[in-house]
Amino acid sequence: MNFALPMKHNRGKALVTHAVLMTYTLIALFPIFVVIINSFKTRKAIFNDPLALPTPETFSLVGFEEVLLRSEFGLFFSNSLIVSVVSIFFVLLFGAMIAWALTEYSFKGNMLIGILVAMGIMIPIRLGTVSILDLMSSLHLVNTLWALILVYIAQGLPLAVYILSEFIKQVPKELKEAARCDGVGEIKIFFTIIVPLIRPAMATVAVFTMIPIWNDLWFPLILAPSDGNQTITLGVQQFIGQYVTDWNSVLASLTLAIVPVLILYIIFSRQLIRGLTSGAVK
Amino acid sequence: MTTIRAKKAFPWHIVFFLGPGLLIYLTVSVYPLLDTLRLSLYNEEMNGDLTFTGLSNFSKLLFDVVWSDPFWNATWNNLKFFVVHMLVQNPIGLLLAVLLSSPKLRMRNSYRTLIFLPTMLSVVIVGFVWQLLLSPLWGITENLMWDIGLGNYFDAWLGKESSALFTLSLISVWQFVGLPMMLIYAALLGIPDELIDASVVDGSSAWQTFYHIKLPLIMPTIGMVSILTFVANFNAFELIYTVKGALAGPNFATDIMGTLFYRTFFGFQLQQGSLTMGAAVATLMFLVILVGVALYLFLFQRRVQRFAL
Amino acid sequence: MADVKLNNIKKSYGNVNILHGIDLDIKHGEFVVLVGASGCGKSTLLRLIAGLDEITEGELQIGSELVNDLPPAKRGVAMVFQSYALYPHMNVLKNMSYGLKIAGKDKAFIRKKVQQAAKTLHIDHLLERLPRELSGGQRQRVAIGRAIVRDPKVFLFDEPLSNLDAALRVQTRVEIGKLHQELGATIIYVTHDQTEAMTLGDKIVVMNQGRVEQCGTPLELYQHPITEFVAGFIGSPKMNFIAAKVQSIEADHLVLRLSNGAITKAFVDVTSCNLDDDVTLGIRPENLSEDSDLGERISASVSLVEQLGEASYLYLTLSDATEMVMRTSGESTTTIGETIDISFNAESAHVFNADGLALKRHRAGNTKSPAELARLKAIA
Ligand SMILES: Nc1ncnc2c1ncn2[C@@H]1O[C@H](COP(=O)(O)OP(=O)(O)O)[C@@H](O)[C@H]1O
Ligand SMILES: [Mg+2]
Repeated sequence: MNFALPMKHNRGKALVTHAVLMTYTLIALFPIFVVIINSFKTRKAIFNDPLALPTPETFSLVGFEEVLLRSEFGLFFSNSLIVSVVSIFFVLLFGAMIAWALTEYSFKGNMLIGILVAMGIMIPIRLGTVSILDLMSSLHLVNTLWALILVYIAQGLPLAVYILSEFIKQVPKELKEAARCDGVGEIKIFFTIIVPLIRPAMATVAVFTMIPIWNDLWFPLILAPSDGNQTITLGVQQFIGQYVTDWNSVLASLTLAIVPVLILYIIFSRQLIRGLTSGAVK
Repeated sequence: MTTIRAKKAFPWHIVFFLGPGLLIYLTVSVYPLLDTLRLSLYNEEMNGDLTFTGLSNFSKLLFDVVWSDPFWNATWNNLKFFVVHMLVQNPIGLLLAVLLSSPKLRMRNSYRTLIFLPTMLSVVIVGFVWQLLLSPLWGITENLMWDIGLGNYFDAWLGKESSALFTLSLISVWQFVGLPMMLIYAALLGIPDELIDASVVDGSSAWQTFYHIKLPLIMPTIGMVSILTFVANFNAFELIYTVKGALAGPNFATDIMGTLFYRTFFGFQLQQGSLTMGAAVATLMFLVILVGVALYLFLFQRRVQRFAL
Repeated sequence: MADVKLNNIKKSYGNVNILHGIDLDIKHGEFVVLVGASGCGKSTLLRLIAGLDEITEGELQIGSELVNDLPPAKRGVAMVFQSYALYPHMNVLKNMSYGLKIAGKDKAFIRKKVQQAAKTLHIDHLLERLPRELSGGQRQRVAIGRAIVRDPKVFLFDEPLSNLDAALRVQTRVEIGKLHQELGATIIYVTHDQTEAMTLGDKIVVMNQGRVEQCGTPLELYQHPITEFVAGFIGSPKMNFIAAKVQSIEADHLVLRLSNGAITKAFVDVTSCNLDDDVTLGIRPENLSEDSDLGERISASVSLVEQLGEASYLYLTLSDATEMVMRTSGESTTTIGETIDISFNAESAHVFNADGLALKRHRAGNTKSPAELARLKAIA
């Protein structure tokens, strides 16, 4: 009697939806998966059967041994960590301060500064590389992590100011006014009332700031390429460039670079995705 | 009324809030950019002195065959790189977002998280991973293609002048498809359910609801995704550098603005690096991005109003 | 003819049952109002009728056709949403013509239809505007207009007035009433506002936790609520409830001992009553009097007086702390703290048994047969 049973129709649609999404998920994961499983295999197994999981016979950590022996992976890693953490800290601190000043106070030049900062969202800081290198060498910061940190702070500020402003605007007026009536100073209001309230937004900003810093190759390549100061991205790039033919080492170093990000991503994906989908970035 | 107005105290707190951040932003971002624009008007002598030469760097870049061939080649390649993203990455992102937002979908969060995963990885890592996967030496892709009966079509795509750029573009698409997906998904979530219900009651099929209601409402987001893609593409460097090196081979087939900028500035192998020519390339990149953003702001954003939902 | 018949309609989300078997019989042209507290399942029921959600169990007929599995557009229904749900990127004209366009109607026809509806609703000067350029009341009309143009057999309204301010709400309410007269279509209208329900409905359906509590004309519900819930829901201020025990059972009335010790009569059907049963006496604020003695008397102290001008509300406390409200004349001079004697007519009293079911009210003298009475006495 009924030809278009909505139930059945929906089932079919759901099936197609899942099929497409699953296919794409496979496409997204397959390359990463292949690299990781092969990094745990002997050279022979890598070539004989690249899609097989490591078995007791084919299991081998030789790649990892080589990498840890021949490169300073731990150092690269801690360089990246230092650079990221310090940059993020200042991006959040200065970003929130600027956002607060621009949204809370009206003063001459407010608009101009706002536009100037907003332009930084669209215009990549890379375009100023020629003069940045110049500047860093006159400050004697070339080949130090500080050069990277300064650049990354400047790079992260615009988006941070933008996102944090949106949140600061939502803080109820009454809170600030109550504090002002009690004679609390502006700086104290900022640190004791505003900062705690925008903490969730700061977490989002932190994740957004972290990704491009951790993954950047350009500035490490130009500002701090020398031994001892490489970030992990540059370190991996140089290492693999050197040992292209040592498949075990290449796969192991890729795995070593991927896994920490993977773990962090699994921990923070909720935060990140909430940030992306909350409309904070528009 | 002549009340004596107390002179307002100088707003030191504003200076306190703006000072440190603005200082770094101005010196490390704004100043270098302006200085780069300035340097592009100079010429560097053998002894390192700078002399003002007006627009001669630009005329070299645009018209002197030695410079202009690589420049136009890189620009043209960059444009292709962008077009592939617009035609492949963003439509796939849109499709995935629409599927993800279908009501009562199970495992929604898992799909979302996993598909976004490659976006989190460093471009360098992604470049190497795909270099391995596509390598005829290892043969993973080739074997897979034989398995599905397409073995004859396999080729060393990354090594061929005709296919290298396209392949690299697709690798980049693979990595970044999560971004448009996520942003468009968020926009779709923002459409009130009652609006969709209304269109269903009005008799729309799923497709008609998408085309007449959802699509126009997410247009601003699609516009934003496009301009973000544009800026990112004309600023790309890492993928090409990782996979093909600074020379962007074979025979500059994968050279884009970013790699050209790098070579011009630092020099590479036989080519002597030049501060001022590098600045000139950066300036042109700046102009390209500026024009793109301006077109977006004036043509697109103005026409597609943001609707209060 | 577009009668709407609901036959034991059930709805569950997963294993949570939201609607537990709704039966309704709606005649063509009737204005039926669904009322009930927020969350009781009114919107859910409306969405089932519209076809926006799937019916878990039961049958839905519109115009004697089983429509359970038909998509909304094929059911001949149109819906007006609480948020209006106007397409924000289309102007009023496009909003109103969208459904017809989808249905493949030709341009001239659409134009004529929309013009006509716009004229009826006095929005013909707004056709080029976008929804965000309209006031709340105007958006509301556009939403109604969008429903009208499709000539639906049944209109569904989901709390259409709840986003309007008080004055506009009254005005729009009147207009919706008029519109019903003009169109003569069947309307199913959801609200949680009992004034809207009383004034608009030919028939009111009171819902409670996924069930139909009572269904009837406004006056039926007001005069003969069959449950304590309905009695409390219909009428404003709310009916007063006083705990009581059955003291004696007479031929045509009960004698009750109220929780404060007062003894009163209530003319209700005594058939199902036993001595010493716990019952609840219900008496509407407007049936209480402080001046004239209407027979049954209670003494209470005044804890608050609200003067509205044409009437005053006295908030009363009985000796056992039961709270009551009464409506009295605006001229009343009673003040806070006074203890007053209030009275009511035993014919206006409602009595509910321990299960919350009403004993049917009747006039004095509506006696039981002697045999029946003897049986009752015997039990006692
Ligand atoms: N999609 C849904 N999934 C689960 N529960 C729902 C859904 N929609 C409504 N409900 C539940 O059904 C009940 C009735 O909701 P609703 O019909 O909207 O109430 P009303 O309109 O009377 O205020 C509520 O308890 C609500 O939480
Ligand atoms: Mg509701």
